[in-house]
Amino acid sequence: MAASISPFALQVSVERHRLANGLRVVLSPDRSAPVVCVAVYYHVGMRLEPQGRTGFAHLFEHLMFQGSPSLAKMELVRLVQQNGGTLNGSTRYDFTNYFEVMPSTALELALWMEADRMRGPVITQAELDNQRDVVKNEIRVNVLNQPYGSFPWIDMQERAYSNWHNSHNGYGDMADLDAASLADVQAFFDTYYSPANAVLVVVGDIEPSETLVLARKYFEEIPATPAPAAPDISEPRQTEARRFSRTDPLANRPALAVSYHLPERGTPQFYAMGLIHQLLAAGDDSLLHHELVTRRGYTGEVDASLNFLGHMHNAQTPLLWTVVAVHDDEVAADAIVEAMEGVIAPLRETLVDAETLERARTKARASLLRTAGDSVYPRFGLADLLAAFELLEGDASHVNEIDARFAAITPEIVLETAREVLRPTNRNVLVLEAGAAS
Amino acid sequence: MSLPPRPTVPPLATFVLPPRRVETLPGGARATLIDVGTVPLAGIRLVLGSGSVDLSPDATWLDRFVFDYLREGTEQRDAAAFAAALAAMGGRLEVDSDEQTTTLQTEVLSEHAPAAVALLVELARTPRFPQDAAERLLTDLHRSLDMATAQPSWLAHTAMRKALFGDQPYGRVMPTSEMLDSFTTARAAEFWARTTGAGRAHLLLAGRFAADAVLEAAQRSMDGWAPGPEAAPLVVTTRAERAIHLIDRPGSEQSTFQLGLPVIDPGHKDYVALEVTNALLGGAFASRITMNIREDKGYTYSPRSVISTRPQGTYWAEVADVTTAVTGASLREIFGEIDRLRGEAPPEEELTGVRNYVAGSFVIRQSSPAALLDHLEFLDRHGLDASYSATYLERVQAVTPAEVQRLTVEHLRPEAMAVAMVADRAVVEPQLAEFGPILA
Repeated sequence: MAASISPFALQVSVERHRLANGLRVVLSPDRSAPVVCVAVYYHVGMRLEPQGRTGFAHLFEHLMFQGSPSLAKMELVRLVQQNGGTLNGSTRYDFTNYFEVMPSTALELALWMEADRMRGPVITQAELDNQRDVVKNEIRVNVLNQPYGSFPWIDMQERAYSNWHNSHNGYGDMADLDAASLADVQAFFDTYYSPANAVLVVVGDIEPSETLVLARKYFEEIPATPAPAAPDISEPRQTEARRFSRTDPLANRPALAVSYHLPERGTPQFYAMGLIHQLLAAGDDSLLHHELVTRRGYTGEVDASLNFLGHMHNAQTPLLWTVVAVHDDEVAADAIVEAMEGVIAPLRETLVDAETLERARTKARASLLRTAGDSVYPRFGLADLLAAFELLEGDASHVNEIDARFAAITPEIVLETAREVLRPTNRNVLVLEAGAAS
Repeated sequence: MSLPPRPTVPPLATFVLPPRRVETLPGGARATLIDVGTVPLAGIRLVLGSGSVDLSPDATWLDRFVFDYLREGTEQRDAAAFAAALAAMGGRLEVDSDEQTTTLQTEVLSEHAPAAVALLVELARTPRFPQDAAERLLTDLHRSLDMATAQPSWLAHTAMRKALFGDQPYGRVMPTSEMLDSFTTARAAEFWARTTGAGRAHLLLAGRFAADAVLEAAQRSMDGWAPGPEAAPLVVTTRAERAIHLIDRPGSEQSTFQLGLPVIDPGHKDYVALEVTNALLGGAFASRITMNIREDKGYTYSPRSVISTRPQGTYWAEVADVTTAVTGASLREIFGEIDRLRGEAPPEEELTGVRNYVAGSFVIRQSSPAALLDHLEFLDRHGLDASYSATYLERVQAVTPAEVQRLTVEHLRPEAMAVAMVADRAVVEPQLAEFGPILA
């Protein structure tokens, strides 16, 4: 009883190529506006960085804005802005990305700049020290100086995962950041920033055949080096319920996070959890919202995610499905856990009805389209999806299969998935106690 | 592995704005529709002419109470049914507001755009306001207030508004706990009835949708909707004086501050040039202040200057979280950059780059449905028409170095700038002495 595929599903044109040095190139034209996004993704992120160098993948991302063979510090940023564009970079679990959104007249310049950057950082000790200070201030403003700053993402991953690659704080320990040297920078580049370990994605107002010629012109001469070996990021199956607590000295209301380990990316069970996320916890129509917000008044908002640093499509598993609620002292955390279990248990017992499942599918479809239609950086949302599927599944065109994968999920698969994933013995409860006076 | 030479970039082609379809609806409501993009979603906003300026001084956040109440459904369907109806279209209700307007908004799969419009109109006309939800919503509001008081950025924002606008509506952003206790269902319903109607409603759509079907749904659902009250006349006075409004946060890792003063509104002939000036000084990543305190000194991660617009109350501010030990040094550099631009017109080459950045950002935003909707709301709020958008790029490109210097001299006067800061007082007080009187 698979549902039909909607004409309103995400369907995009995708061209894939591989250059002689191993660089993968993904092109997707959209001529509805004279705008283009050029993005380069390197298959190294927080969970793939070496031990003893926590936070290095992220610090390195900052350094890749500090200078390259042809551009001095900040020249890349100036060139992008002087040509009407905007840019950013980010470090996620599995990858680090660099992108520009530009008027399409600047396409060739953007390719040239990224090809220059791929030739390696050219930076001084002063620039390393400067960005170390900037990164420390980033950690202060986002984590150390904010109530709930590490909650739940750093706090939960440190507790729920047992493999160091997944559990360590990817923002980094200050001591590790202090230890980072220029020699580390070169070694990290040589190991992870090989063309064979990267994907170039161009989305927007392009003629793909011309863009491919330009990609070859600027990138193909970068020497091939071996792609690094992938570390083992697997997690053991959790077999008993866990409960943790910590006190946040800056928070003045307690909070609760509940996480379950997700099934492997790409499997029907993974997509079933995508739908379970929609029906249990996404939006005002969700079952947990109804129970915890409307009926019991335990919290004003139920927040849930399948990936602390993105969404279900742009990270490799292991991942956690996490539900978060901030509440009052008068409500015990365990009462909320119990109320959640009261909502979740029926999913392990009975088949979900067709209307509820169809609504979850519609929400998942719309959510994916919103992701693709990123409004802060137009065209980047789709570029990110294409890059993630190319890096993590080996084929960017899988973005066009997402709707079919959701459509294939039957009530039976939902039931089977709930029984395995939403087991109390697969559950991690993190109680955040409020350390600040209210 | 030699890299071919850097390619040159041809000039930006003449940019054609996506066409707007403007229609009149029952009761004096208006509709503006923009067909744009390829993603099969429709962004829908029903902008209503009521906001926080309509609140009495003892009712700060009553509007938020009302918005929370809007999630409780309509006379036709309860909270669960309303949420389910919207979710089945791929949407969810968001209520956004500023001083002048309340916006009911959602984004749905294209095929459902007409039905979603009808649903938003239903909510605007017949919100439910169930009595038995009041206690729960007030508990949530108390929690939100408590959590806000623990956030340094929110505290700095509150102090800045107070510094610029005193006890006027724009200055009242944080309620007392006692105010929240005085909120009732009757007050929420009364506020809604008193401030909304078709007369000030504006339906905005951007994205992909069937325009005729949307308009038909809007006509039908708005049929018989009373125009409602006119907007009350607005009179705002602003303060501009150098003082440091310091909120003590012992042990704070950083000093969180806003530094700025009232400036001209978007309708002023110099406004676009002021935007360019702001981008050059602190608004862009490669701007002078960011280059200085981030990329040179490493004092902070995300400094930025902004022009925060509202009728008669637009202000410029530099916003940053800096390491506590360099709080005074950061202020010195920021004021130093302002003084430098006051004293010397920027080089033509630097300004050309900034003009291109501001122009390119506008073109890029015009390709995004959500950003287009923001732009339409901006025009409405400031009484601007389509000519503002149509002439924007040429006005950006006409800004001269002398004009940037003149605007900085006229509008960014350091002696009139307030500093609102949340920091560890014992550590920062000695660093601040040179910057003006410290007010608690």
